[in-house]
Amino acid sequence: MAATVAKPGPVPDVGQEHDLRPVANMEAGGVSQGNAGQRILPQHQRLKLTDFALVRTLGTGTFARVCLVRPAVGSEEEREKVFALKILRKAEVIKLKQIDHVRDERQILTDVAGYPFITELITTFSDYDSLYMLLDYIPGGELFSYLRRHRRFPEEWAQFYAAEIVLVLEFLHEKQGGVAYRDLKPENLLLDSQGHVKLVDFGFAKRLGSRDDRPVETYTLCGTPEYLAPEVIQNKGHTTAVDWWALGILIYEFLTGYPPFWHQNPIEIYKQIIEKPVIFPAEPPISPSAQHIIRSFCTVDRSRRLGNISGGSQQVKSHPFFQGVDWDALLRKQIRPPIQPNVRFPGDAQCFDIYPEDDGKREPYTEEMASQYDKLFEKF
Amino acid sequence: MSGTTFTSPFAANSNPFGNDGARSESGGTPSAELLNVIEEDENDTITSPTTPSFGFSNPSNSGFHGPFGGDGTFDPLPPAMRTPPNPDSYPAQYNFGRRTSVSAESLKPVADNNDNWTPPSYPKTQEQLGRLKKAIEGNFLFSHLDDEQNAQILGALQEKPIPAKDIKVITQGDAGDYFYIVEKGSFDVYVNPSGALQAGPEGMGNRVGTIQAGGSFGELALMYNAPRAATVVSADSGCTLWALDRVTFRRILMESTFARRRLYESFLEEVPLLSSLTPYERSKIADALETLKFPAGHTIIQQGDIGQSFFLLESGEADAYIDNKPQSVRHYRKGDFFGELALLNDAPRAASVVSTTEVKVATLGKRAFARLLGPVEGIMRRTKYVGVKSGVEDMDPLHAS
Repeated sequence: MAATVAKPGPVPDVGQEHDLRPVANMEAGGVSQGNAGQRILPQHQRLKLTDFALVRTLGTGTFARVCLVRPAVGSEEEREKVFALKILRKAEVIKLKQIDHVRDERQILTDVAGYPFITELITTFSDYDSLYMLLDYIPGGELFSYLRRHRRFPEEWAQFYAAEIVLVLEFLHEKQGGVAYRDLKPENLLLDSQGHVKLVDFGFAKRLGSRDDRPVETYTLCGTPEYLAPEVIQNKGHTTAVDWWALGILIYEFLTGYPPFWHQNPIEIYKQIIEKPVIFPAEPPISPSAQHIIRSFCTVDRSRRLGNISGGSQQVKSHPFFQGVDWDALLRKQIRPPIQPNVRFPGDAQCFDIYPEDDGKREPYTEEMASQYDKLFEKF
Repeated sequence: MSGTTFTSPFAANSNPFGNDGARSESGGTPSAELLNVIEEDENDTITSPTTPSFGFSNPSNSGFHGPFGGDGTFDPLPPAMRTPPNPDSYPAQYNFGRRTSVSAESLKPVADNNDNWTPPSYPKTQEQLGRLKKAIEGNFLFSHLDDEQNAQILGALQEKPIPAKDIKVITQGDAGDYFYIVEKGSFDVYVNPSGALQAGPEGMGNRVGTIQAGGSFGELALMYNAPRAATVVSADSGCTLWALDRVTFRRILMESTFARRRLYESFLEEVPLLSSLTPYERSKIADALETLKFPAGHTIIQQGDIGQSFFLLESGEADAYIDNKPQSVRHYRKGDFFGELALLNDAPRAASVVSTTEVKVATLGKRAFARLLGPVEGIMRRTKYVGVKSGVEDMDPLHAS
């Protein structure tokens, strides 16, 4: 297990947020701010599910459920803390052929821990039929919920969220040595207590890596239909450029309230993505610089796509759409976010929608499955 | 009116119910009309309709609104739904719920796995191949494939006899792994509004269409595993289908793309002008290379023209000629390159290069290069070229090695 995590350069100022951040090493009860290297628990201190009390479900996916939890043991002070626990059923992971993705998610989250705009993995553990990822709890809820409630965002808001995402992509692509996130959408952006972006769900994140000293593109189709880049749909092999495409779709959705390519039938979405230019509605009016950046991101030809071309994220940052953004202040979270989530106390979950709780029904994880697959989950 | 313009340019495959009356536009506000007009213009510039009609018929043209949106082949939605959302009234049909992520099986190229994989190949007659080619040529999942990929895909299609009437080929709501092309007979398409096949005699729901020879269905299964949007049942006895599964399809594309990428990268390594590129930069260039095919006797570059792009010879052979003299001054084989000085300056081509056989070249323009990596001069400044006595300008303008 990768116990040491390189702290990304300029160390972010997390002081303001301190009171909401989980303590990295619960067992020791010590605060490990600024000590990113120790945030993964050693093996003998492995947690188990009964160490936590379930508060409620925060979200559900095809094979995972994220719950708000509190420590069930320890001092009163310990038990006041809150975490998000992502629970994955091994049988479902195997059935949906997502073993590699789950392993990558764990590894990449470990590698990027400490970056201010990414959810922080504290530790992982497992039992007979499930895998668990203990994450810091981000109380502001999904940006998705705010976007749907407001229908669309004014351009300054879109600029703010897009700018924080540019920092995340710059970090993943350029400072983490080529990590593609591959599932950018409002549903995967949470707001912290002050309203800053936290990117969550690294289920499709992929370290492109290299072989014989060459970076290697990847071929697995994954993402969300409306946000898929053309090269993913056409199976051409894809790189981090897919995230810039998705950022264009995201800015469009911020400004209009819906994505540029949509249809009830996904095949029709894919045809549009490959064949159709992005078209802007007359209402609301979208500024020329916003239209330009969206079209520059949503460019089928990757040798022309903003973010992927010479200059990388630097060129994105100097685009007129981001005019006036103080990137250093932004990274230090010194820019006041447009939305301040109504979080009354650290474990407040009112910003999240209500989901039905786990009904206990699940595919059994059989002995055969365990003997065949458990070795693949041994890092959990 | 505008509706017809928005039907997919991919012809019958994408919209087997294409020639239906639902095309009559559903009105809408003036601004919606305006958008449709914009669409119309855009449409004109993009593609030309390709495939001919496959003889689809649409008996019950009743607004089927694909509840799961599963299989793209069935798309009888009224065209208004394919237009951009009405800007004033919020798009009524857009589903504003959370969107589910999709994912296919993770695949790694053979070169990474050390296992052996060759695509399956099932024998077919020339006539069959011709029909199959026609059946997929307008489909967006196949339209960008090169000849070899196409040949492998056609080879991998497997014949599936459907001997009797009323056999369910795909079942609404079930997991989908196969794409089908109809070789013989016809198939009825049913949709149950509940989103899945139900028990009982009416369980298949309403018949929404018929697919005949040359038509196809189930293409979404080639992308990832999604629930089938309809039930498809044989309407005759003695039908024949061709089937292709997702993993085979995706592997064929992946292996050939992967191999070509590596080939390009190794070619690029041989170009002295680009020797200082990092592997990452070479990979970006390889990404942007465009493959062109020329018959024998084609003039690929013309002496005296201002060079705009450089070429890597991927297959075939070519010769360089100067001043229309019949004597070849240089012979090119696979892996050779020419015209790379165009990346550097606007000097006229010093020779013509003519293909001696059918050739495949990978090419990249000066501007694309500059967009990706900045000006070549900058690249060169970090190289040993700076110290080379003769200098690049003195090199053979056709071949720098």
